[in-house]
Amino acid sequence: MIGPNGAGKSTLINAITSLMQVDEGEVTIAGRRVSNTSPQLCMSAGLARTFQNIKLFTRLTVRQNIEVALTSGQRDRAEQTAAIDVGELLAWFELERIQHWKAGALSYGNQRRLEIARALALGPSFLLLDEPAAGMNAVETTALISAVKGIRDRFGCGVVVIDHDLRFIMTLCQRIFVLDAGEIVASGLPEEIRRNPRVIEVYIGHERSKKHAGS
Amino acid sequence: MSNLVQSAKGALLLGAIVALIAVAATLFAEPFYQRIVFIFMVNLIAVIGLQVFMGNAGITNYGHIAFMGIAAYTVAILVTPIAIKKTALANAPFGLAGMEFGIWTSVAIALLVTVVIAFLVGSMLVRQTGTPASIATLALLVIVHVVIMNWVDLTRGPRAIYGVPVKATLGWAAFCAIAAIFVARLFRDSRWGLQLRAASENIAAASAMGVRIKRLRLAAWVLSAALLGVAGVLFSLFVGTISPRSFYFDLTFLTLAMLVVGGVYSVSGAVIGSVVMTVGFEITRYLENGPSLAGIKLPEMFGLTGVFLGVTIVLCMILRPHGLVGGDEIDEIWRRRSQDRAAGGDVS
Repeated sequence: MIGPNGAGKSTLINAITSLMQVDEGEVTIAGRRVSNTSPQLCMSAGLARTFQNIKLFTRLTVRQNIEVALTSGQRDRAEQTAAIDVGELLAWFELERIQHWKAGALSYGNQRRLEIARALALGPSFLLLDEPAAGMNAVETTALISAVKGIRDRFGCGVVVIDHDLRFIMTLCQRIFVLDAGEIVASGLPEEIRRNPRVIEVYIGHERSKKHAGS
Repeated sequence: MSNLVQSAKGALLLGAIVALIAVAATLFAEPFYQRIVFIFMVNLIAVIGLQVFMGNAGITNYGHIAFMGIAAYTVAILVTPIAIKKTALANAPFGLAGMEFGIWTSVAIALLVTVVIAFLVGSMLVRQTGTPASIATLALLVIVHVVIMNWVDLTRGPRAIYGVPVKATLGWAAFCAIAAIFVARLFRDSRWGLQLRAASENIAAASAMGVRIKRLRLAAWVLSAALLGVAGVLFSLFVGTISPRSFYFDLTFLTLAMLVVGGVYSVSGAVIGSVVMTVGFEITRYLENGPSLAGIKLPEMFGLTGVFLGVTIVLCMILRPHGLVGGDEIDEIWRRRSQDRAAGGDVS
């Protein structure tokens, strides 16, 4: 899911995970309504998410952050898509060495990765990542892309990524939706999106005007 | 599981400190100092009880002493001999004037009453967080005080209830304090404690993890009240005379100061804060009366204990906002240090 700032990307995730109430329509997962319920119910329906502004438990250690998610387990264990343990998550996101550090003491990139690891510990069917690459440098972004790409195969869950960085989304995603001013203006494979005139107009146009404004 | 083993080890360490104090007091101290040590144990249990809720749920609590008062009064009313009740509580309702219960029955009923009231109050309170919740706890303290002051038939109002059998010993107080340390530590490090601490930092993230925040807050609240109930029962059965003033602002702020100075986020903080503040308080109380030191007669300095309390809190806020111990338990700090050392120069 891609779109310029203010397109409604985070709002959409917040609505899906019941952090925000919706006025019209409803969100269902496998026939189960999750909109206008509670974040807890969304979690047990199989949704896990990260936040645009990282929301870690900074006074807890890296390991404890993941343990909170693992033990809150209202989700029926049998329903989980894969058995997950702390050690494997730490290894997957290269957090083993710093597992006893306070989450608040981590570098920005590590905080982002820990947040994803914590969300995965819920054993979700869908993982929603809200601007996971925001504020990362090129090296961190490349590492993130390879970690996220492997998630679907190893942890067996669908991944929805929201970002405004076109290149990041193009490299990472198999199917792309373009959002502008609260509406989906295009959807399809990366190649189709790249060539879609409306996307160029809406999205690239934004980028250009932003660049001009910046220069 | 290994977490809880670590947790029990940490509790053992703190329990050993308390046991040492109790043994030393029993063997070497004069009755006057034994009395101070007993009151220290009672305050310690109260501070640990306060920590269970405040440290894990992250809500400042001013109402904890209310539960101590409820338990103290309940046990006093139940256990006092009928002969004394004839003069002291002749009009006690529910036929209590003509009843006298055994010590264990009284204690059990007192704790039960405390827990039930805590559950009812807590069910409403846990919907709030932050300042509104703290104000609600303050209201609880005032309400309980006003009820005790005005339900004269049951509580003798502002006058003291006397003649409560003195059954509590220093040994019992120390045992209860050590038990409280274990309970508080195991709760803190259990999955529920961990989830609650997570929620106290970030409600949105904890909700998205499926943490049932209100339920956990209520559990911590009731557990906290139960520990304060134990403190109240011990106080009542040791002092033998209780009045509403014993369970109001003075004790509320003394115990709060102990916890804040030690460190609200850990049981170690509760224990160390209680020790430090008690020692400081007793020294200033000694100086307050104008003693002679090395031949020099010091002037009387009334109010010195109050100054000590205030200055300690202010200094603590400025120099160590998370308390003397900080955010972690002592054993956690030691373990992390040794892990860092094992990691070599990796951690700078």
